[in-house]
Amino acid sequence: MNASTSALSPDLPILMELSHVSRVYGSGEAAVWALRDVSLIIRAGDFVSIVGPSGSGKSTMLGLLGCLDVPTEGTITVGDEEVTRLADAARTRVRGKSIGFVFQQFHLIPHLDALGNVETALLYRSLKPAERRERAMASLERVGLGRRADHRPVQLSGGEQQRVALARALVTDPKILLADEPTGALDTKNAANVMEILSGLRSSERAVVIVTHDTNIANSAARKVSMLDGGIVSDEVLRS
Amino acid sequence: MSTFKDLVRVAFTGLLARKVRTLLLLLGPMIGVAAIIASVGLTDSAKGDLKQKVSKLGTNLIEAAASSSFGGQNPTLPADAVDRALTVKTVEKVSAVVELSNIVVTPYIEAREKFETIPIPVLAVDSNLPAVLQVKLVSGRWINQFDEDSEVRAAVIGVGLAREFDVLPGENRTIELAGIPYGVVGILDSVELEPGFDNAVFISFARAEIDFLDDEVEPNKMYVRCTEGTESETSEALKTAVNLGGPQEITTDIKSEALELAAQSDRQLQMIVISMGLLAIIVGGLGIANVMSISVIQRSAEIGIRRALGHTRNIIAIQFLFEAIVVGVIGGILGVLLGMLAIFVGASIAGWVFVMASWLAPAGIILAITISILAGLYPARRAAKLEPLETLRLG
Repeated sequence: MNASTSALSPDLPILMELSHVSRVYGSGEAAVWALRDVSLIIRAGDFVSIVGPSGSGKSTMLGLLGCLDVPTEGTITVGDEEVTRLADAARTRVRGKSIGFVFQQFHLIPHLDALGNVETALLYRSLKPAERRERAMASLERVGLGRRADHRPVQLSGGEQQRVALARALVTDPKILLADEPTGALDTKNAANVMEILSGLRSSERAVVIVTHDTNIANSAARKVSMLDGGIVSDEVLRS
Repeated sequence: MSTFKDLVRVAFTGLLARKVRTLLLLLGPMIGVAAIIASVGLTDSAKGDLKQKVSKLGTNLIEAAASSSFGGQNPTLPADAVDRALTVKTVEKVSAVVELSNIVVTPYIEAREKFETIPIPVLAVDSNLPAVLQVKLVSGRWINQFDEDSEVRAAVIGVGLAREFDVLPGENRTIELAGIPYGVVGILDSVELEPGFDNAVFISFARAEIDFLDDEVEPNKMYVRCTEGTESETSEALKTAVNLGGPQEITTDIKSEALELAAQSDRQLQMIVISMGLLAIIVGGLGIANVMSISVIQRSAEIGIRRALGHTRNIIAIQFLFEAIVVGVIGGILGVLLGMLAIFVGASIAGWVFVMASWLAPAGIILAITISILAGLYPARRAAKLEPLETLRLG
């Protein structure tokens, strides 16, 4: 597959570029090629879904896009940083600066309230507690949960928990918002709500990337990247 | 600095979120430190008490006794031993005694059978003895010059004997010495440096001579108060001064030395209890390592999300280490307080003075922190090694 770009916004800056990326687990005869020679460009303003059945390599893709993993071959560039050349700590910092995560299982820290969970993303950034609090609160209000700031995850519904997770992902103002099956654990109404919020988060400086096996969800994005057997089989623009 | 504050804050919220477990974690360093503090403090308090006793009683009391190197049966000192002793410049006060033997002492004649087999020391004394021993009377008065001159049958008894004979302070009573009634004129308080005096009977030389001795009285023991700090020299000088020109040999004994020795003798016990405290704190450390390792597994999702949010491996490791350190600090402080309480209670019960060396508290806390850092290293390493991809189980 060749490098694909969004036809929507060719003039907007490239936020992330995967170039001839392969990811091999194991070695020798037991080697498994989870990804084989994949190239992908994500620009600001993109609202991309990466869709494929299990085993298609989309989970591996998520790990690489999120800088949680490094490819066996090829290069990944985030902004102007080639993360494939970075050591773990530096890569972690790029991740903290540029990428926001939303997971299917929310992954909120159970003993912290909503505000505390959002604040966790701002720890160790030399922020004053008051400033951190203010930013976390603003982020919660952005997802409509300002009044639930002191609620713990168990006191929140699934939809609310996912919105807290969204607030947490947004509070660092990431370039790329990476959502892994964000609606997988939600009912239809909450799922629609979360998708609506997600689609509203792309901007001239930010891209939203959704990894899913659900074609309906995938089709609600602006651009759909389909995967199969460790490769990209199609990259289509669905709407502007 | 703000990173440090963040670490402390996160450690505290992490620990507060699991209160029962945190409490159990605290127990290890707490009990260990408390045991060490209590053992050192209690032995020091006991020692401090003995030291206080020694300083109260004075270290300058010397006992000089006649010895029988020639095989004599009842060795005695020269009759003018007191005067001879006073020729030594460092000698301040002297009192001589004669230990009388084989006198059956009974509260009244009918009780003879009961007390016949109980040896109660009877001593002929001069009027100086309480002053030399620095001891007071519980009631009444001591044998005085009047008793000596008038040869009355007056006796002073030790406080232990008074209890045994049911003699009340101030009561007019007689006791029988070998069947001869003596009036009890006073009760002597207990003498720390000469515990045998608690159960003794004291009478005048003149009366002893008449009732119990055939010859002229010759003392067989002297108590000497010397100038403070000259105990050894005075002991040596006494031997020469008293013995001068005579066949008698004397041995001298600095009375406080035994107490001072006793003050040091519980070092071994202290070492044993300290080792047990150390063992407790090590076991506590293992407990921390164990519980925190389990905690790392339980919190792997939390660790994964923190890593995804941009917390580096080092931050994760330090974070867990900080939780261990907070446990160490709090456990250490609680341990010190508990240890102090133990010393206080122990010392109160035993009637000692509360003594706690100033280095104990910081040493205890530092020990607790050290142990918890060591205990936290392994779980911290494990937490840092977790791969966020695996812990988040991406779908």
